[in-house]
Amino acid sequence: MNRRGLLVAIAAATLTASSALAQEPIVFGVITPLSPPGETGLGQLVKRGSEIAVEYLNEKGGVLGRKVAISIQDSAGKNEQAVAAYRRLVTNEKAVAVFGFIHSGANIAVNEVAKEIGVPTMGTQTGAGDVTAKRYDIAFRTHAVDPPRAATWLGWAKKNGFKRMSIIAETTDYGIGLAKATEAQNKSMNIGLEIQTIMFDRTTTDLLPQLLQVKAFNPDCIINVGVGQPLDLMITQATTIGLLPKVPMVTSYDAPARPQHWQLHKEQGVGVHFIAFYTNKAKLSDVGEWFAKKYQEKFNEPPVYAALNAFANALVFAQAIEMAKTTEPKAMIKALETGSFKGWSSVPVTFPQAEGSLWHNWSPPLMILKYTKQGQTQSEAEVAHTLGEN
Amino acid sequence: MYSTELLIQTLISGVMIGVLYALMALGITFIYSIVRMINWAMGEFYMLGSYIQYVAVAYVLGRNYWWLAILISTAGTFLIGYLLEPLLIKPMHVRPMERRDDYATVVTIALLLMLRSLAVAIGGPYQYRPETNLPIMWVGPLPMEGARVMASVFALFALALFYVVISKTWIGLALRAMAQNRVAAQTSGVDVFRFDAIAFAIGVALAGLAGALLAPLFLVYPTNGAVTTVKGFEIIVIGGLGSIPGALIGGVLLGVVESLGAAFISSPYQNAYGFALVLLILLVRPYGLFGERGREA
Repeated sequence: MNRRGLLVAIAAATLTASSALAQEPIVFGVITPLSPPGETGLGQLVKRGSEIAVEYLNEKGGVLGRKVAISIQDSAGKNEQAVAAYRRLVTNEKAVAVFGFIHSGANIAVNEVAKEIGVPTMGTQTGAGDVTAKRYDIAFRTHAVDPPRAATWLGWAKKNGFKRMSIIAETTDYGIGLAKATEAQNKSMNIGLEIQTIMFDRTTTDLLPQLLQVKAFNPDCIINVGVGQPLDLMITQATTIGLLPKVPMVTSYDAPARPQHWQLHKEQGVGVHFIAFYTNKAKLSDVGEWFAKKYQEKFNEPPVYAALNAFANALVFAQAIEMAKTTEPKAMIKALETGSFKGWSSVPVTFPQAEGSLWHNWSPPLMILKYTKQGQTQSEAEVAHTLGEN
Repeated sequence: MYSTELLIQTLISGVMIGVLYALMALGITFIYSIVRMINWAMGEFYMLGSYIQYVAVAYVLGRNYWWLAILISTAGTFLIGYLLEPLLIKPMHVRPMERRDDYATVVTIALLLMLRSLAVAIGGPYQYRPETNLPIMWVGPLPMEGARVMASVFALFALALFYVVISKTWIGLALRAMAQNRVAAQTSGVDVFRFDAIAFAIGVALAGLAGALLAPLFLVYPTNGAVTTVKGFEIIVIGGLGSIPGALIGGVLLGVVESLGAAFISSPYQNAYGFALVLLILLVRPYGLFGERGREA
């Protein structure tokens, strides 16, 4: 190359770089509960995970040469607030993808709007079947749906020879879905388990009347399908009337994995079982390892599933954009449907066009963990059961 | 499954929660009677009481002095109410105003939002639980948190004390005079503005006391007062506006109806049973069980 050619090349490179710098960042929207009555503990974890994801992506040079930014919106666990947040994200902030959902109802409500607008969504920790079962193009999820979750605790009950199970579930898409899935699978599995199902309004402040019915039923185990405050209230009140620790209780998600569990429950927290999707013994991908190290450095505690999943959601969307070479929604959706992506787990993330709630769904491993000593961390908890073990 | 034991246990549980609901209702009805306004931020004073209880127990006094923390929480909310009233409510009485009710509604809803946001800003959206050193206690056939039993005892004591203050002391006489005829009370030498502040402070202190008492049971978080405010208004309709026995009986009735409905009819509609009772009372006795029939010119 002669001197003139070199100068032209430098000028072209400078122009390209400056135009890239002048480009707007690619915005990912995050809709998550950051204020009550939403599950704020998980919302905070989603916030942490997505903020670290942006840090990671920008360190690696951004996406399609553009910086990445996130806009975090509070759903408060309310459907209407989540829908308003989605509209705001897509129209004002020009978000190209939205994730961070914790409450199934909010995710389902947003999907109804998203299917018209077209910007894809990803359920970070939403379990209700209808999040993906409606087979909308825009709806994706990286979380365990109702059937495998129900199968996990039914398998655990079978392993322990339990004959009577009480399910106390809130009257939300999440609670109703899990209760129905458990009853349906119990019938098909035919393991001789008698199930008592009690539903409650999630604004109820006192669950004693419901727990007294449970006590009268004399169950061998209890499934706690409350989200946020009702979950903790149930642990406290069940202990008082003598149900816990005598009758093992499984919470339907990994709320007890947070340090707040011990602040709220002290010695009452021992013996609590919980559905978990990750332990520190799980094999992580290289980006998962990077995240775990970064999270530990930043927050001085091991990462928790919701944070890992939010981090992975952002990375999956970023990879889909790179694959599609555009942020155009239809091309991104096509890439998500056909590609294989790196998430936090060593198992690649894919979104098959499968039947029912498994449509566009990637599920993490499922297990039941049990605290045996006060103050244990999730990684110190005993593995009581793993899905598919029996 | 529907045994006599379950019925008795559910009744006990309903009565105990009802007594605590009554505290909330009493605060609302008392403020209305004296200051002639509905305080929509009552639930936030309940929330303040619960936060003060948590901070006092967790960081200052320790679990053995939970009872002292309850007194501090009540006094704390009283003081906050006493300081806020001249700033927010007094202008309603001092300046000529066409729509006092609208003013009171706007001001107290603004206060509600401010206090709730303040709680999120300071304590975050998390849940907290102040400890007590109380063991589990047996009430008939029902084991209950010691905190719940003591909360009911404290609540009954507070209601009795409130009754004595209102009916037997000079302050109570002045407050009752204001409730009957504000102008006549002022003409008789009652400093109505000072007593407005006292009445508002007593009312919100009752909510703060309820918040502190229930904090170990129903946890501490920024919106924990929202539901109790609704219950307070339901009880006022049931018991009658301005009636102390009405607040107590209305509270117990609401607690029992909700508990029995949840246990023996259908659990998801626990809150709806209270509304059904309210509708029934409105149909049969619109001024409440202990309220007085209004007179129209």
